[in-house]
Amino acid sequence: MKFLLTIVALFLLNNIFAYEFLGEVILDNRYFFNEGTSYQDKIHSSFSYSPEIFHEEEDYIFHLKPKIRKDSQDPKRNLLDLQEFYLLHIGEEREIKFGISKEFWGVTETTHRVDIINQTDFTEGFDGEEKLGQPMVKVSLEEEWGVLDIYALFSFRERQFSGQEGRLRLPLIIDKNESIYESSAKNKRTDFAARWSNYYDQLDIAISYFSGTTREPRLFPTGSIDKPLIPYYETIDQFGLELLYLIGSLAIKVEAISRAGQGDRFSAATYGFEYTQVGIFDSRIDLGWIFEGNHDDRLKSSPTVLGTRLSFNDELDSQILSGFIWNDVSKELGFLLESSRRVGECCLIALEGVYFEDTDEDNNEPKLFEAFREDDFFKIEFTYYL
Amino acid sequence: MSLANVLFHRKSIIACIFGMLFIFSGEVLANKGLEIALKSDENFDGYGDSSSEMTMELISKKGDVVTRKLRFKRLEVPGDGDKSLAVFESPRDVRGVGILSYSHKVEPDDQWLYLPALKRVKRIASKNRSGPFLGSEFSFEDFSFQEVEKYEYEYLREEELDGILCHVIERKPLDPYSGYTKQIVWIDSENFLTRKIHHYDKKSFHLKTQIFSDYKIYNEAYWQPHKVTMINNQNGKSSVLSFREVKYKNGFDDRDFSQNSLKRSR
Repeated sequence: MKFLLTIVALFLLNNIFAYEFLGEVILDNRYFFNEGTSYQDKIHSSFSYSPEIFHEEEDYIFHLKPKIRKDSQDPKRNLLDLQEFYLLHIGEEREIKFGISKEFWGVTETTHRVDIINQTDFTEGFDGEEKLGQPMVKVSLEEEWGVLDIYALFSFRERQFSGQEGRLRLPLIIDKNESIYESSAKNKRTDFAARWSNYYDQLDIAISYFSGTTREPRLFPTGSIDKPLIPYYETIDQFGLELLYLIGSLAIKVEAISRAGQGDRFSAATYGFEYTQVGIFDSRIDLGWIFEGNHDDRLKSSPTVLGTRLSFNDELDSQILSGFIWNDVSKELGFLLESSRRVGECCLIALEGVYFEDTDEDNNEPKLFEAFREDDFFKIEFTYYL
Repeated sequence: MSLANVLFHRKSIIACIFGMLFIFSGEVLANKGLEIALKSDENFDGYGDSSSEMTMELISKKGDVVTRKLRFKRLEVPGDGDKSLAVFESPRDVRGVGILSYSHKVEPDDQWLYLPALKRVKRIASKNRSGPFLGSEFSFEDFSFQEVEKYEYEYLREEELDGILCHVIERKPLDPYSGYTKQIVWIDSENFLTRKIHHYDKKSFHLKTQIFSDYKIYNEAYWQPHKVTMINNQNGKSSVLSFREVKYKNGFDDRDFSQNSLKRSR
């Protein structure tokens, strides 16, 4: 580690004027329609700041991006995280990345089954797309036969959960301090992962493997008086498959995993399509249709999503993404809305809304959204780019 | 690269085939249209690669201007279409977004989009090429390299345009997903450079006028327009693309246009 820091320091001192200094400030206000099931407040605000330094040389890239977040209500939502802090060496035959970074795997829009390198920050977003930086050494080979990425992942990152005052959480509090690991190395275990990807004509394909501490803990009650849940991080191995096939404007997508180590080996998949109509009604507006179904061996039922994406193609890049989530077994319905547009040259404003409805309360099937029944909300997010 | 490509020059084969077709059908004028398109295309033969910085101004009907900046590089692929990589620098919210395209002569192009906030590479349907490019009056189609094989041609007339003698040809896109039914192209008779294009939409309405100006020669061989203006006749808006820092023969290879290069493009 000292060696790495020395290299980084030497690199930083070299040619300081060629650095790009960037960053963003985000103000986020969430308005819940009701008080929470544990009487949490209706209005939650947060402020986050991510400065960014980027530097590129002939065969090196240096990238630093910390993230600081402060929440008005829930101290568990405060965050100090290094999202990116790496040195990337670009060689003739391969790329090597040292440091902390984020890596995305996957093709689907609603659920990301295969994506496993980074831990999810569930306190930030409802969709699980916000991630924590992961320390790694990554070697990437790119040849005629495709791209092969090999990862060694150090220092496990725990999942972020909302606290007592937070919203969109389970009724019981999850106590991170009591986390249990299957591995005797606890959160110091070095994990391994590999992913091969390539494309053949209209087909994109990737096959991946991960061996290490699960990013998705199972939660166990402790039985204590205030009954918190504790996360249990098993050691798993997981195979992943990603397929995307284009037929004209239609993209057919499949993501599937098979995981061992958390009870019986199980499979889970997300599959569906995205179809784009360009210039609807002779306008500049594109309309995209998204359909995605889910399967998970662990659950009796998995929801289906039908969504639309409207891209206005105006100078403000206005977009509206909306969708229904339907769980046929439990008869639950969710509605999601995400829209954004640019404000001036510096800023972006985004509106987001989530609404849940149990259409059949007499139905005795396990309810997926039960915990969120008072958590319908809308959110206004304002981003200022530095 | 196939043996055929090594033995013969790709364009001469195609010219032969097209030529024969037109001779048999007696379409002598059509043949001349293709001949001029091929001559114009030859301007780029052997360019190897190029890079430039682009500024795009979106001008509203009232004259308000919004500016976008991007970096662009291109690689010649013998026997196939070109590879290109465009990376946005501004506006800030799309900074680092990259578009990697592999264009092909006849088959649909391959295109990937990189979203730096999610660190996600997304394959995109190249059939959606008729849509606007970054809110401008240019479509993705106008932006991509226009392979000769993707159109059929007809020679119309000779005509002076701003004091320059031009060949006027009509071309019809063969791609059923093109946003245009036909294009009238003015190509000057001296250097065979495209000077103006009239784009006709699905209803054969003269939708857009594209003007190429400020041509400069690089490496004593490659003509590059430094200003491309697209005027939308329907909504009164226009977009102006200006090129800076143009450089040919950078020594790029396939690795500069790979999936990994897209991810580090920001």
